[in-house]
Parts: sequence; C-alpha cells; structure tokens
Amino acid sequence: MTVPLGSASPQGRTGTPVGKRALVLVGRYGTLAGLLCMAVLFSILSKVFLSGENLVEVLNEVSLSAIIAGGVTLALVVGEFDLSVGYTGSFAGVLVAGFIANQHVSVPIAFLLALAIGPIVGVINGLIVTKTGVNALIATLGTGTIIVGLNFGYTSGSQIAFGLPQDFLDISGGSVLLGIPNDIVIMVVVLAILWVLLNHTELGLQMQAVGGNREAASLAGIRVDRVKIAAFVVAGLCAALTGILLASRIGSGQSTAADGYLLDAYAAVFLGSAVLRDGEFHIVGTFVGVLTVGVAFNGLALVGAPTFYQYLFKGGLLVVAMALGTVARKYAKR
Amino acid sequence: MSDAPNAAVEVRGLTKRYLGVQALRGVDLSVAPGEIYGLVGANGAGKSTLIRILAGVIHPDGGEILVDGQPVTIDGPLQASALGLSFIHQELSLIPRFSAIQNIMLGLPKASRFGIVQGKALYETAREAADRVGIDFPLTVPVETRSVAERWLVAIARALVRKARLVAMDEPTASLSIAESQRLFKIVRDLAQAGTSVIYVTHRLDEILQLCSRVTVLKDGAVVTTMSREGASREVLVRAIVGQEPVIPQSAGTSSRPGERPVVLRVTELRRPPAVQGVSFELFEGEVLGIAGLVGSGRSETARLLFGADGTVGGSMELDGQPYAPSSTSAAVRRGFALVPEERRSQGLFLDKTTGFNLNITSLSALRFSAALPLISPARSRKRAVEIIKSLGVTPSSPDVPVRAMSGGNQQKVVMGKWLRRPVRVLVLDEPTRGVDVGARAEIHRIIRQLADDGRGVIVISSEFEELLGCDRVIVLSEGRVVGVLPGPGVTEGAILKLCYAGPAETSLKPTIASA
Repeated sequence: MTVPLGSASPQGRTGTPVGKRALVLVGRYGTLAGLLCMAVLFSILSKVFLSGENLVEVLNEVSLSAIIAGGVTLALVVGEFDLSVGYTGSFAGVLVAGFIANQHVSVPIAFLLALAIGPIVGVINGLIVTKTGVNALIATLGTGTIIVGLNFGYTSGSQIAFGLPQDFLDISGGSVLLGIPNDIVIMVVVLAILWVLLNHTELGLQMQAVGGNREAASLAGIRVDRVKIAAFVVAGLCAALTGILLASRIGSGQSTAADGYLLDAYAAVFLGSAVLRDGEFHIVGTFVGVLTVGVAFNGLALVGAPTFYQYLFKGGLLVVAMALGTVARKYAKR
Repeated sequence: MSDAPNAAVEVRGLTKRYLGVQALRGVDLSVAPGEIYGLVGANGAGKSTLIRILAGVIHPDGGEILVDGQPVTIDGPLQASALGLSFIHQELSLIPRFSAIQNIMLGLPKASRFGIVQGKALYETAREAADRVGIDFPLTVPVETRSVAERWLVAIARALVRKARLVAMDEPTASLSIAESQRLFKIVRDLAQAGTSVIYVTHRLDEILQLCSRVTVLKDGAVVTTMSREGASREVLVRAIVGQEPVIPQSAGTSSRPGERPVVLRVTELRRPPAVQGVSFELFEGEVLGIAGLVGSGRSETARLLFGADGTVGGSMELDGQPYAPSSTSAAVRRGFALVPEERRSQGLFLDKTTGFNLNITSLSALRFSAALPLISPARSRKRAVEIIKSLGVTPSSPDVPVRAMSGGNQQKVVMGKWLRRPVRVLVLDEPTRGVDVGARAEIHRIIRQLADDGRGVIVISSEFEELLGCDRVIVLSEGRVVGVLPGPGVTEGAILKLCYAGPAETSLKPTIASA
C-alpha cells in the first residue's frame, strides 16, 4: 500500500539510483544555482554588475523576452509549440509604427489595432492545430512565414522610422511609476496576470489539464479545442505586445525586429520548466529562465566578450535547457 | 526452498524502494523449470515491482537474482530478453501502429539474407505463434485497430516466439472473455509442458487454483506464505491477501423496484453495425444497471455510442425525457454524462497532477471566490478535495500528492471522486475494479451505490460477472443485442453466463424490460 509521501514535494521519491536523483536535483535547482554563480562571477569580474543601475538595466533588457516567453509558456502548457510568436511580434511592431506614421492614427488606437493582430494570429493557429490536427510546429511555422510575407508586403522591406511622436516612444522609454522604466512595470503586470490566469482561473487549470492528459480532459467535459485556441491567443497577444514595445523602444518599425525573440523565449521557458518543478512549464520558472539569459548577456557584455559568444551561449543554453527539462520530466515519472 | 537443484529463476532477499514506498522488503521466490507459479497479493503488495525488476525495467536496491543457479544482474530489458525472460505487462507494450506481425517479431534477430528481411519466414514464424493463441484476425493490420483482448493475444504470441525460459504474465485474463481465457490456460499449460516456467500474476484466484502448482502471496512487499495447490483454497488465499476476514461486497440493499422511479435514460434500438445491432434499455434514477457480455458482444461499443465517441447509425436516446444525441464526448459530459473509463491511467487521470487537481477539475466553476469573478479559490478547492478524500477513504489522504504515486484502487477512487458532487445524471463505469485489490473493491462498490443513491443513474460495465451481482438489474448483451434482463435478486454468474452463451438466436429478439 502507498505510504503517505509526507509533503507535496516529490523529494521523497528515492529509489532511483544516486546519479539519476542527482540529475533531478540538478534540474530542479541547477538553474537557480547557475544564476547565482553567474551573478557572483560577474560581480567579481565587473564592478558595475551589482550596481542598482545595472540591475534595473538587466530587468529592462529582459522585460520584452519575459512577456513573449510568458505567452509561449501557456502554449507549451497545453502541449503545443507556437513558432510564429517572433514574426507576430515583428509584424505588430511594423503595424503600430505604420498606423501612426503613415495612416496618422492616434497612438492609443494604433496600439490597440496592432495588439489585435496577436489574438487574430492565435485564433488562426489554434483553429489549424485543433480542427485539422496539423502538428503545431509545422502549422505555426507556416503561419509565421505568411506573417513575414504580409510584413514585407506592408513595409516593402524598409523601416518605418519617421513621424513617430514622443507619446509613442514614451510607452517603452518613459516611466510612470517611481522612475521604474515602463517596460519593467508592464512585464511585472503581464507575468502577474499570466500567473493568476494559469494557476487560479478555470481556463488556466483547464490548460494544465489539457496539457497533462488530453483524453482525460475531454472526458472531464473540458472543451479541449477551445482551451488550446485560448492558449494560442494568449501567446499571440503577448507576442504582439512585445513587438509594439520593441518598436517604441527602438523608435521605428522594422520588419525583422522581434524575430530573434523566438529563440530567447523558448530557451527561457525550457530552462524555467526544470526550475523547482520536474519539467512542468510555469510562469515563475519562465521568469527565472529569462533572467538567467539576461544576466548572462549583460555580464558577457560588461566583461567585453565579443558578440559571437552571445550566440554560442544562447544556442548552448537552449540545448542544455531542453535536456534539463526533458531529463527532469523523465525521472520525475519513475 | 527450491525443489529442483537449479531453479529456472530464483530471487533472494529482494528489496526495492519505489516512488517513496517500500515496495519490496526482502522477497524470496524460486520457480522450477516448467512450473506454473502463481503470484497474488493486493494492489501495492509488490507483484508488479517484482516483475519489473526481473524485466530489467527497474533495479533492485538489494538482494540477488539467479537464473539457472547463476547470479545475474539485469540492467535492462535487452538483457532480460537475452537471459530468456519474457514479459507480458499489465499495460501492454505494443506499438499501436505496427501490425501484429511487426509487434510479434519486434526486436528478434530477423531471418535475413544479405541483410534483407525475409518476409515469408517472418510471417510463418508469427503465424505459427498466432495460431497457437488463436488469433483469427489478419496479422497485417495495425494493432491499434484491434480490441484490447485481441492485443493481449498479440502480446502473448510475442512471448511465444521468443521461446523463453520464463514468461511472466501480469493479469493476463483481465481483458479476455471466458472462451479466450480458457484458450490462454491451455497455452500456459502447453508452455509449461514444453519446459518453460510461467509466473502467473492475477487477482483471479480461481485461475491460480486451476493453473498453478505453487502460489506465493505477497503483502506490503513481503512474502506472507508460499503454498502448493493442494494446500490452497480460495478462502485461505483471500485471508492471506487481505490479512483479515474478507469483506463481502454489498449486494443491492435498496428496493429494486425501478418502475416507480423516473427514467433517466431511455435507449431505443441503438444501432451501429456490426458491433451494435439494436440495443434498447431504460435506466432509472437511483439504479445501478449492469451491462454484461462477452468480448465482442457490443458492450464497449454501446458505451461509446452513449458517449458520442462514435456516431449512431440508427435508434434514439432520451435523457430525462429530452432527445439526446451527443456530437462528441465532451458534449455528452456537459449534458450530464460521466465516464469512469476502462483505461484509468491513460483516460481518467492527470498522473503528474495532485489528487486535489484531479478531484476538482470537473467542478472549477463551483470553486470561485465569488460568482462574479472567474478566479478559483485555493482554500475552497482544498476544502472540497479534502472532503471528497475523506468520504472515499483515499490514501494518502493529502490532496497534494501526485496521483502517479498511488495504488490502483486509490487512483480509481480519485477517478470516481471527481464526479461525486457533480450534477451527473448518468455515470458509466467501465471495468471499475480492474487491477484493484480485494479490500478496495468492496469500497468501490460502496461508492458506486452511494453515487446512485444520490439520484443518478449508474451503469456498470464489467467482464467480471461477479462484480455485477450487486446491481439492481443486469442487461446481457450478445452479438450486439440485448438478450436478456435479469432483475437484482435473480442475478447470478450462472444466469448471466447462460444468457451470454445462449445468444440472440435462442432467445427472444425483443427483450422485455424486467421490473420486479
């Protein structure tokens, strides 16, 4: 008969050989430990690193990837990849700049219109994946590429940099709260909303159920397709928001500006999935993941490492993060 | 304790801690060549753990394993296979998309010429094994298109072609009809006669008494007793398994006069050939209705129609007097249907989630802080989960334990518990006590009765007719039709069996709905 495990923590699961147990521990606390080590290392190597200014800078740097990664987290929770997020972000950035500069739409309206592209893409992605059964990796790669096409069709490949008012630039660049950059405030608000959504709403718990066992979720009366579509919508919304904030930050709409966030987001989410939980995707983990990437980049820049290190690091991190998450999932089940 | 100088397989002092549980506490066992060896015990007694260790799937913490008197370590399934150990697990490890042949021959050295697989030789080997277990469907279709029973036959054929020294079978007859079980017994005896040892793990004690020369009873990871067939009886075994006097499952205590109660579900001439040829019945409020039938009788297929998993070809259904034609499973669930599925782990549970999550997922809208806000209250969720856990006697009793770590019986309680406080009209339980130990069975039967008493209609589908004895009425299906309705007091295993084998040809095609 089953003996009570004592607490919610599955730490009591001994029985896997020591090496494998160590792997689970490495997975669960490794990311946090890595983050701490990096912080210590960089604070030794660079005097600036631990300054308040630099820490705000790190948070500011990671804020946009945190928002897009938050959305990606929800898609992964329901068990689907969304590879269109980077392209959706770029398109939203181009659209918001274009609406303001070319169509002379007011800033708030342009913001909302551009933001709407996210849910639209999300619904399309969701419908394709749920109604046709196409693998989400392929489906979202396809829709993403279509978005790239629309994007270039709209901009003809040139950036939209003129005619953007200070109002728009202030969305990202300004500060409405205690001198904290707006991006950080928005990130905190978005992550908080996503956390509540995922853990304390019907929809969020249903997302977890769908990702946990599709069949059982369906038998529990959950409309699996709708829940999946909702997750794609959230992913799209976060992507569009990221793209708009980025356009505001760099002061122009550029066709490929947010494309790179795709990799950042997935590296962070998978890294975070091993944090404290055994390979489950969750918002707090995602934030830790984003922070790890951000601290590493910031530190590498501070100590003057050439740019190519950033790519080596990012790629390597993605592989290691995936491996950690996968291994953690595997051994948690034994 | 070995009878022969060299036991085919022997384990000494095996210990294993597994998923936070001491699953084995020093188990000794020795199986002689050509012996059929029974292994019984409640769920969580350590039977499966022992088998999994022999299969190399998990590794023991202590003790030794001897094959032909030689100490061995089994690091993985390949090595187990090389030692001549073959396994048929409770949850079949077939590749769904592969054909029967591919599954049977998987991983065997292929008869090949210049590296090219010789299809004909392959087919003949597989065919021979298939014939021995009586597979009568084409070997070239994917096994995912076959029923669970037929997949079992494939798994057995797979062990047969390996000419194993020892075959361990975990609940082999759980999904088999009586005819198929009889065939399996013959196969098992043939195997033993040919010198292969068999470890036979089951909850069905009659089979142990029928087949095995010796039987070991495990409880809480330790050997309670090992006895030869002569010394064993059902009563003795049950007492050893339970460790106390067996609890006799409650029979239908309530008045079985369903005619006075409102009809919850009326099914009229439901058809989806070939499996379902016209099924009609009524389900009354507060009633536990059993559906009996051999494999292939249309039992499971009828359940799928009730749930909208398949479309009907003809006939109609009424739920509480309203037309009912579900377009999908979740549509059926929203109309007040609930299924406790046959494949509990893959269809009924969120294994990585906690008990609380599993219990509350069906009732989230009732757990809001307030009706206006779509926010779920953790305190309310926890309270509700704890109450259900208490009323069902789930152990461990914390709502924060992942259900993966629980025993089968407790997992089943969780699956049932999620419908306990829901406005469910019709609850269908498919094989509710499969893989559940004797003690938990009685409790599950009590919960079934409780669910019905709360004003629901309950349908129990089971291939273990013993389980249907507590029902208010039992309808018997054969060849896709209702061949008879047995009222509560008249339900006996013999009566059910007689109807099953009589078939529609010998009974009236228009079943009468019996009321007492």
